[in-house]
Amino acid sequence: MHNLPPYPTVLKPYGRAFVELARDREEILCLSGDLTRQTEIDLFQEEFPDRFIHAGMAEANMISMAGALARRGFIPFVHTFGVFATRRPLDQIVNCVAYPNLPVRIVGFMPGVSSPGGPSHQAIDDVALMRALPNMTVVDVADATEIRQAVVAICDVPGPVYLRLKRGEIPIIFGARHQFSLVRAHVIDDGDDVVIFASGMMLSSALAAAQTLEDAGVSVGVVNVPVIKPLDRTTVIEMASRARAVVTAENHSVIGGLGSAVAEVLAEEGLGRRLRRVGLADTFAEGAQSATWLFKKYGLSTQDVVDASWEVLGRDGVAPQAPVLVTPPGEYAPV
Amino acid sequence: MELSRVRELNRAADLLRLRAVRMVAPHGFGYLGQVLSSAELMAVVFAESFRPGTDELVVSPGHYIIVAYAAGPELGLLSEGELTTYGYDGSSLEAIGTESSPVADITGGSLGQGLSSAVGLALAAQLRHETSRRVFALLSDGELEEGQVWEAAMFAAHRGLDNLIVLLDANDSQVDGPVSSITTLDPIADKWESFGWAAYDVDGHDVASIADALGQAIAQSRPAIIIARTSTARGLSCLPEGADGHFIKISGDLIDAAVAELEARRA
Ligand SMILES: [Mg+2]
Repeated sequence: MHNLPPYPTVLKPYGRAFVELARDREEILCLSGDLTRQTEIDLFQEEFPDRFIHAGMAEANMISMAGALARRGFIPFVHTFGVFATRRPLDQIVNCVAYPNLPVRIVGFMPGVSSPGGPSHQAIDDVALMRALPNMTVVDVADATEIRQAVVAICDVPGPVYLRLKRGEIPIIFGARHQFSLVRAHVIDDGDDVVIFASGMMLSSALAAAQTLEDAGVSVGVVNVPVIKPLDRTTVIEMASRARAVVTAENHSVIGGLGSAVAEVLAEEGLGRRLRRVGLADTFAEGAQSATWLFKKYGLSTQDVVDASWEVLGRDGVAPQAPVLVTPPGEYAPV
Repeated sequence: MELSRVRELNRAADLLRLRAVRMVAPHGFGYLGQVLSSAELMAVVFAESFRPGTDELVVSPGHYIIVAYAAGPELGLLSEGELTTYGYDGSSLEAIGTESSPVADITGGSLGQGLSSAVGLALAAQLRHETSRRVFALLSDGELEEGQVWEAAMFAAHRGLDNLIVLLDANDSQVDGPVSSITTLDPIADKWESFGWAAYDVDGHDVASIADALGQAIAQSRPAIIIARTSTARGLSCLPEGADGHFIKISGDLIDAAVAELEARRA
């Protein structure tokens, strides 16, 4: 089961779960690229100062060091914003982490256009970059419940992991009985007309869009895909086969991320389903005071998911309109 | 240093050169200049300081892995027979080091990353209180153009990684020509000193000077660098004038002349 929007939120679910995990796992090290509070690891620093390493604003050195530490039995969790965690030290991730297949956990905050900090701060290609690397696992989780479980789950992956996390207030979409899996995508709803595959911040938008579409008589499947690599092909094939059309929703460029991964499976399996990818349409995102405005401007809102579904099904007339939710402070509404 | 020891170390350096000539010869070209320049430095490190099983070796420029391979038999890590597979299809002795490369703990072909890897190993030893373990990192001078080297240098000094020793083969050679014609690195020692390191600027073909600097570097309570001033033509007078030190071509009579010259000197 999942909650309904607007969702309650919590602060620092990652930071808290990470501290709890590290309590039992002495081989865990915490590396910070000068964004300690912003990446919720001030909690770790207070609790385990001897295992906290300030790498400073030197991402290349931080990643290469982490690789060497992992060779010697440590499990380094490396923290900075997603842009600085992937774009800047890409060659170091390739040569010092991915190729030697080492258990470094690269934790990148502020995915996609969730930051109004301009293109320099918006990780719109991080999933694509990390997905292209052999040995890399790529995780983009949707809510606080999944974050808590994912931190534990990724700790023992034999190879490297990229964990993509929203910063700030994190919605609680799933209840305590929810089970995050590194292997299986999570089918939330079945549907015959269109199936929406969503990851990370776009899951809540996909759920809201599905509700609007169902109200208009469309049968909608919703699949939460927190693990973009390795992709759960079986579930993608099953759910896409059942529907007439497919929509993907990701807070990322439509090139190289979830949409591309699903498209590859559809084509390889010869499923012949029409596909619409909701995400950044091969563009950088400028001109924002707020993230919400960016999601709207660049076509990543709930309404955009509704419109894409309506259009890909070839429905006539105007697509149904998603209600605009009034969000009290401390709660979270889908973008 | 006793004269007999000097002679032994010089013979060890020439053995590295001889093995490198034999590894490169079947292919007609290869990373021979790197061994010609770093032979004395690495011979002294392996004979005087490096303790296999205890110490760790990073070969930052992957194409220098040939000098580690060449030392493999003496370190008990490779057979002479395995050396003959160097650079051939299917060999784990690739010309540019990989994860499969023996002898070195870490190597890599994307330059400027090895010091960070060495810092990571040194930090691991520090965190585990493994106080006797030393990490040696072979770097090339051209690599100093990479900014990451200086990120690592700052971090190492800040953390007081006194178990870390950089071996810099300052051969004034990179792909496009003399390093000094492309980027002014000097004063190299001053740069590292100002970053909090102990620096020793030595004649990189003088085994006694290298050994003396190594001894001091190991005793230092901060990270240390040996700047070995070398030449990619050293030790093979038969090489033609102006040979490309980064990627030497060697075939036919030149191979015979090189082997003869090195064997004669080692006799
Ligand atoms: Mg050089």
